[in-house]
Amino acid sequence: MNHQWTDRLSEYLDGELMSAERDALETHLAGCAHCRDTLAELRAVVARAQSLENRAPAADLWPEIHARLTVRRRFSLTVSQLLAASIALVVLSGGGVWLALRDGSGTSDPTMAAFPQLVAPAGTPVAWRARTDMAVAQLEETLAQNESRLDTATVRVVRQNLGIIDRAIEKAQRALQADPGSAYLNLHLAQTMRRKIELLRRANALAVAES
Amino acid sequence: MLTTLATLAALTLGAVRQDRDPGSRDTTVAVQPGARLDVNNFGGEIVVRVWNQNNVRVRATHSSRSRVEVSSTAAAVMVRTAGRRGPPSIVDLELTVPAAMAMTLRGHYTDISVEGAGGSVSAESTQGDITITGGTGSVVVKAVEGDVTLSRTRGRIQVTTVEGDVRVADAVGEVVVETVDGDIFLQRMDAPSVEVSTVDGDIVYDGTIKDGGSYRISTHDGDITVGIPPSASVRVMVASFDGEFDSSFPVDVQRSGKHRFSFTIGTGKARVELETFDGDIRLRRPGEVNVRDARNRNQNRNQNRNRDEDHDY
Amino acid sequence: MPRQVLEADVALAASGDADAFERLYRAHSARVHSLVRRMLDGDEADDVTQDVFIRAWQKLGTFRGESAFGTWLHRLTVNVVLARRKSVGVERGRFITDDQPLERATGRRETVELSMDFEEALARLPDGARQVFVLHDVEGYRHEEIARMLGVVPGTSKSQLHHARMALRRYLDR
Repeated sequence: MNHQWTDRLSEYLDGELMSAERDALETHLAGCAHCRDTLAELRAVVARAQSLENRAPAADLWPEIHARLTVRRRFSLTVSQLLAASIALVVLSGGGVWLALRDGSGTSDPTMAAFPQLVAPAGTPVAWRARTDMAVAQLEETLAQNESRLDTATVRVVRQNLGIIDRAIEKAQRALQADPGSAYLNLHLAQTMRRKIELLRRANALAVAES
Repeated sequence: MLTTLATLAALTLGAVRQDRDPGSRDTTVAVQPGARLDVNNFGGEIVVRVWNQNNVRVRATHSSRSRVEVSSTAAAVMVRTAGRRGPPSIVDLELTVPAAMAMTLRGHYTDISVEGAGGSVSAESTQGDITITGGTGSVVVKAVEGDVTLSRTRGRIQVTTVEGDVRVADAVGEVVVETVDGDIFLQRMDAPSVEVSTVDGDIVYDGTIKDGGSYRISTHDGDITVGIPPSASVRVMVASFDGEFDSSFPVDVQRSGKHRFSFTIGTGKARVELETFDGDIRLRRPGEVNVRDARNRNQNRNQNRNRDEDHDY
Repeated sequence: MPRQVLEADVALAASGDADAFERLYRAHSARVHSLVRRMLDGDEADDVTQDVFIRAWQKLGTFRGESAFGTWLHRLTVNVVLARRKSVGVERGRFITDDQPLERATGRRETVELSMDFEEALARLPDGARQVFVLHDVEGYRHEEIARMLGVVPGTSKSQLHHARMALRRYLDR
């Protein structure tokens, strides 16, 4: 056995030798059964490494992770707040109410001023709204694909409750048409839409878990 | 290292006797300090009680078509149920565990009941009622259809369900509850922060309003009743599209739009936000909070729900 | 889990939605835990996996979506593991100098059984060699990246990889 070559077999396998070295090693391999065997074994080790299967932790780590997450929750925006902010921004910006709110000037709605979370994300409301619509469309499509995995009782509950939420969304939208500047109605619509996303997501997660 | 591949003691309970009759199995395993209980039972019941032994006792009632596996590592005692062939069938599990043991209980068509838990509890069932007494640190419940009842918990409560009522009583700690079609009753609460919402249902909150606390209660179609102690220092924000506001004590309302108003009691150190699109909002003194009104409505709704189901699918 | 569901969850989790983050945890915990378990001693794996997800929660706001969430989380996992490795300080003999390190590396008297499976054999390699092997052959990093992460020269990474492979040849259980 020639150690000089054996030690280079991994590099050869990984294609990391210069061409001169590679040629020399291949010449050696042609005449050395031992090195050929070793190379085959190394190749098998690499293949084995790539086929290792992932295993979930024996115990569910989520409860402890979750317990450690709660701190941030208080200081960050919830989805409903972000959605609410986005939709409120879109609608309010037309009437100039939004500016009043952001300035905190005397004409602002004092109730809205008490919801500082609505004023905080002055970022990109349009993007958020687009994301919401996209998320709903995607989730509905995914659920249509996944629904057959759920048992009929669960499908029925999900559909009935999506119906309840859709009716709530409709009512809020109708009310908004009559009173488009209402901060409350915008907030309410956003919250109800968020509920729809949550339910769709939940149903999808259940369907995936069933498969 | 080999030592870290924890020694796995697997007892296949159902394999002891190959009888065809429904059977009952009983086994006890020792528990390492700090180990969790992790139960997964597809259908049937999970009942957990506590004792002051460092053991987990598992009693299972099931048919010969199913089996129950109990395994134990340093980190967890795991209980799994499975069908011998094909889909799993119904298994009733009765467990007795050390009082402080944290637990994760999961099922699909499974009623879950925990009595006297002293550690954190996480319970999840797609269809089935979940009832938990006790629980410390965190109590997390997820359901789709079924009622959730919690009492005497200490720590953060988080309940997410779709169709079903949620009742919490005599709890200390933060509360987050969401359901779509169901009522939420929170009674005799000691909570620094509350965030509860439903789409179709009533909500009742009766408990502390703490300085610096935040209490957010919202429904789309339903009434909200909240108890405000006379000593509370709170700023209350109310929003309703179509409904009445009724307070059993005088408040000085400041209107801030067609559908919203607010008022302050004391110096307004806590914040209460009440919102219903289509429903009434009632403020009461503690002791006047009337859960029965809401329950009557609830019964009507259940009857409607049952009627719907008759000609659905 | 369908890709779009996870993508929506990433956005929700980034905005503070713990439920969405739990779904991400469920979808990725096996991969993260397996990587951690292979890189470190098994008894640390649960703790470090928790740390990874806490860190991910804290840093999600900086995730720009240029890479897939899975890739981002994977990289974060490697960073947490390597930070752990530095802070713990005490390491078993880091590198291998010949092809038969398994028996000695653990300091055990008993003979290593040939029936020991591949993962167990991997776990018995000295830390440095094991990490190089996991990063290169299991996770697909290049020697230059590994060398930078571990603070060695690429030549060391190459030779450790070779030694690790040579040592593991006998434990090809399937």
